[in-house]
Amino acid sequence: MLSARLLTKRYGALTAVEDLDLEVSPGELFGFLGPNGAGKTTTIKMLVGLLRPTSGTARVAGYDILAEPEQAKARIGYVPDAASLYDKLSAREFLQFSGDLYHVEPRLRDRRIDALLHLFQLSDREGDFLSGFSRGMRQKISLAAALLHDPQVLFLDEPTVGLDPQSARQMKDILQDVCREGKTVFFSTHILEIAERMCTRLAIINHGRLIAVGTLQDLRRQVGSDGESLEQIFLELTGGREDDVSAVLRGLEG
Amino acid sequence: MSGRHLGGGVRLGLLLWRTQLTMFVNQTLRSRKPGRLVAVAFGILILVLLWAWEAFVTVLALRASHRFSFQLDPAHLFSLAFFAYTGILVFSSLVFSLNALLLNPDLDLLLSSPRPVEAVLAGRMVVQFLRLLLLSLLFTLPSLVVWSIGTGNPMILIGFTALFLLYPVFPVVIISLATLFLVRFIPVGRGKEIVTVLSLALALGINLLNFLFNPALRDPGLRARRPGAPSLPDLPLATSPWLPPGWAGRFAGAIVTGQWPSAIEWGGLLLAFSVGLFALGARLSGRLYLAGWIAAVPPRRRRGTTPAGARPGRSIPLLHPVVSAIVLKDWRMRTRDIAQLARFAMPVIFLFVLFGFRSSRLLASVQSLGAGPVGAMLALLPSWILLLSLSSALGLTAVSLEGQSIWIYAASPNSFLRMLQAKCWSTALPTVAAVTIAAAVTEALVHPGWLWAVTATGLAIVQAIAVTTLMVGIGTIFARFDWTDVRRMLHPIAGLLGMVGFMVVVGASALLMAVAIALASATRLPLATTWLAALLLSGGGAVAAGALGLLISAVRLERLEVG
Repeated sequence: MLSARLLTKRYGALTAVEDLDLEVSPGELFGFLGPNGAGKTTTIKMLVGLLRPTSGTARVAGYDILAEPEQAKARIGYVPDAASLYDKLSAREFLQFSGDLYHVEPRLRDRRIDALLHLFQLSDREGDFLSGFSRGMRQKISLAAALLHDPQVLFLDEPTVGLDPQSARQMKDILQDVCREGKTVFFSTHILEIAERMCTRLAIINHGRLIAVGTLQDLRRQVGSDGESLEQIFLELTGGREDDVSAVLRGLEG
Repeated sequence: MSGRHLGGGVRLGLLLWRTQLTMFVNQTLRSRKPGRLVAVAFGILILVLLWAWEAFVTVLALRASHRFSFQLDPAHLFSLAFFAYTGILVFSSLVFSLNALLLNPDLDLLLSSPRPVEAVLAGRMVVQFLRLLLLSLLFTLPSLVVWSIGTGNPMILIGFTALFLLYPVFPVVIISLATLFLVRFIPVGRGKEIVTVLSLALALGINLLNFLFNPALRDPGLRARRPGAPSLPDLPLATSPWLPPGWAGRFAGAIVTGQWPSAIEWGGLLLAFSVGLFALGARLSGRLYLAGWIAAVPPRRRRGTTPAGARPGRSIPLLHPVVSAIVLKDWRMRTRDIAQLARFAMPVIFLFVLFGFRSSRLLASVQSLGAGPVGAMLALLPSWILLLSLSSALGLTAVSLEGQSIWIYAASPNSFLRMLQAKCWSTALPTVAAVTIAAAVTEALVHPGWLWAVTATGLAIVQAIAVTTLMVGIGTIFARFDWTDVRRMLHPIAGLLGMVGFMVVVGASALLMAVAIALASATRLPLATTWLAALLLSGGGAVAAGALGLLISAVRLERLEVG
């Protein structure tokens, strides 16, 4: 469903992502983890066709994102981190616009909009301009827009940021439902508990390089200890250690 | 507010100013981006040229002043100048206050720092004083330097610099206080819209008053009949010794004429007033903040035009559904934002101001030329002004209108060429409609003969299509997707190139028409034949220019990365 081969992105002297190889199957809920600035967003943007890789290839739903971008994008749903939306459109107008962009037949589009607004409990706000929406509500609208055309692969960049616990739970349920339908969900997150509980497989990226891929069990094997939490594995693999933090904090005192 | 707090405000203001300068340098000189460095070098070159020109004109003026003697009172003249400057200060302060005191995202950072509210608000005002000083010097520095050297009076440079720093204090403080007070009743989000509407109303009002009361406009022959030297108008509000414009005028007049006791007297008064008002304003603004600004009226929940349950899935016939969706979306975005709507309405108001008040006189002049192509072309003048204004306001910003939301389109399964197509439609539909109506009305009023009127209107339509396409193309090449303010959507170089493109297209048309008329009179060819040939050439050239702009911009968009 999704594959990347030697995907690389360079900005001048800075290498944001280097030689990334990935394979994600249909029905997988794939968690993409990494510290800040590790290259998660850059990778996702390359996979959805918003950034052009410096080298390497990526295929989504059988289509090369560089060679056949329109076919690939038609099968992708994308929810960016802190999505910028059209503030002067109402929620329904924005979803209609999004449906039109993805060539959804108008009657089907409106039926799906009704269902999604109901699902996200936004039916009573459908006529409000998006400028009046909170970050969590905008996140919901972004997800609704991403689901509107029934994509085969859903990419989400930090989807739970800004959501209240109830909405975060709802988001997790929706993502699991999407996977049960045989679709693929690829998402980045900093909240390791969510990744640990939800994902079928995980990947950890650090300094632009993929340092681990597999199930939680695979990752445990990789660090050589059983029963460790994902947080411990993550810190072990990315080199973030608690004693370093304590030392710095002690240094700040006095 | 204690002196310690006032000092803290000044220090914070200087810190903010230094930070802004650092950001400016980082974005330009230290950006290491060749495009930006070239733009900076170009900007500096233009500035140097303009300064050189200003210095040259000042030298000429100084020499002329030695030869001719004027009976103008400098204090009176400067009082009027500072009175007019007050108007500029009031409007720039309105925008500044809304941004600096309410909308800028760093406000939370400053207010959460361990500094008194008064110091934060005073610091913001200090930044505005410094910005206005810099702007004033940007426009006047060469004149002041040349004037100081030419008269051997260095106090001219020093005095005016002090004046430019002190004079803006009272409008900035008063407007800041008024803003802090009003946002308790008016939603912050509406502020910019209110300022825009006020600006438009003021522009119209000033022009209307000018038309109604300016004797030179009401009777153009008045100047010729009235003998004697020109005199300054007497405006008590400007020249009163009880108000700041009068103090500033007297201080400036005293410096220019070397009357030092008078300069110290009026300058001291202005200094004391400004410092006192600044201290009082900072204290009051702190009180206003604590009394209510902290609980300012939140933005109202604004409903779209589609009530719950409605199904407005409209589309434009004959257009591709995606193109139609973008055109409708753009229309909604433009018409629902008063600041953007004003950009659309401004050209119409400008035309009304320019021609509306003087229409009968202008019409009579053009009609006196009689039937023929010259009258038909002159009748297109309002349409061309409308075309330039609308196509640059809408076309140059068509793609930038997406702003940070460009990812929505970029992630969708559509080519950027389709987006450009949609942007051309969303710009061309209103522009061509307005230009066609304007051309038809003016041709009907001038009535140069049906052949000339119809062909000239046809030319205006073709030019409208071509120029809007060209503007969309230029706007795409310089598209900005990082703007947070409507005014920043338009890239200045795009504006300049758009103007040049328009001049080339319309100028070439006018030239071809002139050649057609000259050719017909020099040869035995019928005027209608040469005229139609020129029309075809002109229309074809315009369309080619538009298409070229579009092709270049398509390449730019295909390379776009939404990082």
